[in-house]
Amino acid sequence: MDANKSIGWILRIGAIISILLILFGMFLLFINNGGSNYTLTQITSHKSKLSTANISTTQIINGISSLDGISYIILGLIVLIATPVLRVLYSVYFFARENNKLYVFITAIVLLDLLIAIFVIPFIMKSL
Amino acid sequence: MLPILSLILIIIGGVIAGLIGSLTGLGGAVILTPLLVLGLGVPIYYAAGASLIASIATSSGAASAYVKDKITNIKIGMSLEVGTTLGAIAGVLIAAAIYRANAIAIIFILFGVILIFSIYPSMREILKIKNKFKNFKSDKTTKIFQLKGSYYDEKLKKRVRYYGIRWWYSEAIMVFAGVISGLLGVGSGALKVLSLDHMMRLPPKVSAATSDFMIGVTAATGTAIYWELGYMQPFIAGAAAIGVLTGSFLGSKFLNREGNGFIRKLFVVVILILGVQMILRGFGVI
Repeated sequence: MDANKSIGWILRIGAIISILLILFGMFLLFINNGGSNYTLTQITSHKSKLSTANISTTQIINGISSLDGISYIILGLIVLIATPVLRVLYSVYFFARENNKLYVFITAIVLLDLLIAIFVIPFIMKSL
Repeated sequence: MLPILSLILIIIGGVIAGLIGSLTGLGGAVILTPLLVLGLGVPIYYAAGASLIASIATSSGAASAYVKDKITNIKIGMSLEVGTTLGAIAGVLIAAAIYRANAIAIIFILFGVILIFSIYPSMREILKIKNKFKNFKSDKTTKIFQLKGSYYDEKLKKRVRYYGIRWWYSEAIMVFAGVISGLLGVGSGALKVLSLDHMMRLPPKVSAATSDFMIGVTAATGTAIYWELGYMQPFIAGAAAIGVLTGSFLGSKFLNREGNGFIRKLFVVVILILGVQMILRGFGVI
């Protein structure tokens, strides 16, 4: 398959899945009148104390099985952020198959930057 | 505010931003932040977090079409993302320092300046600054980084061949675009287009499509750090993503990017007003 088609496909599928998850999460929030131990009024307040920093991964995983709205919205956001990462990962593979060494190197650097931003820097900043 | 009303207002803000974004080629997020902050009173860090999310959503949604049509130059996009991702990391770190020092005014003023500057791609079209694109003499970087491509132009009914030049200069502007993206929580589409247009000398269509394509990766870099620092409110970000995606979809479906001269001019005025308001807010005038 050619690169344009596959990359276009990755981006589109990622966007669709994440939006469906977010919509489902919104629906659950309003049905359950809240989520993740916050009331709907607290969550929807524009100055809400609820943020991504005070919800743990375990909480999200448990929330998925208990149909918690916030957990589904967060899962949707994670899928959205993961989509460009997947797109870069695929490009590394694609250029490797084409035997284009320079572009394997370039895309690998972009991937490395992304992974550092996602996994290393937040960890360092937290420990400061 | 009633929860449902809050949801509807954020979605409407997103739809407006998405519509303006798809018509002006800005992607929408740069308008979303001022709408949320000035219109709904959302704290600027939550608005910036939501905008980053909206940038990724529109980049994935809208860019996929250009990628499939092979207007996007994937090699040029990927090679310049080295700069935007590094810049974005630096930008978020600066943003974190500014928020911690409570110097939010800096963010407001800079945001206003960038917003006013972001009308550049639209002005280019409105003032009919001619498609100055022609084949420039290729340089060393054209060869090293394989900066060439071709696309089928619907209007001209022929295949246009092009190549990019001055990779290092273009990359330098991309680092700056990345810093702004991380610092303000925007996609920095206007700066990317500027770099691709004037440094790389790509045809405008290729610049716009490649910039859209790059925005997702740039924004994803900043998002992770915003996330961990708690500058992201899932409800606001989720609602904004739904709105912006809907708006940019409607915009690309029903509004012709080539026509609609009046609507485009109206939007440029809206962007200018929002920019001035952000600056005034930064100085504490409003």
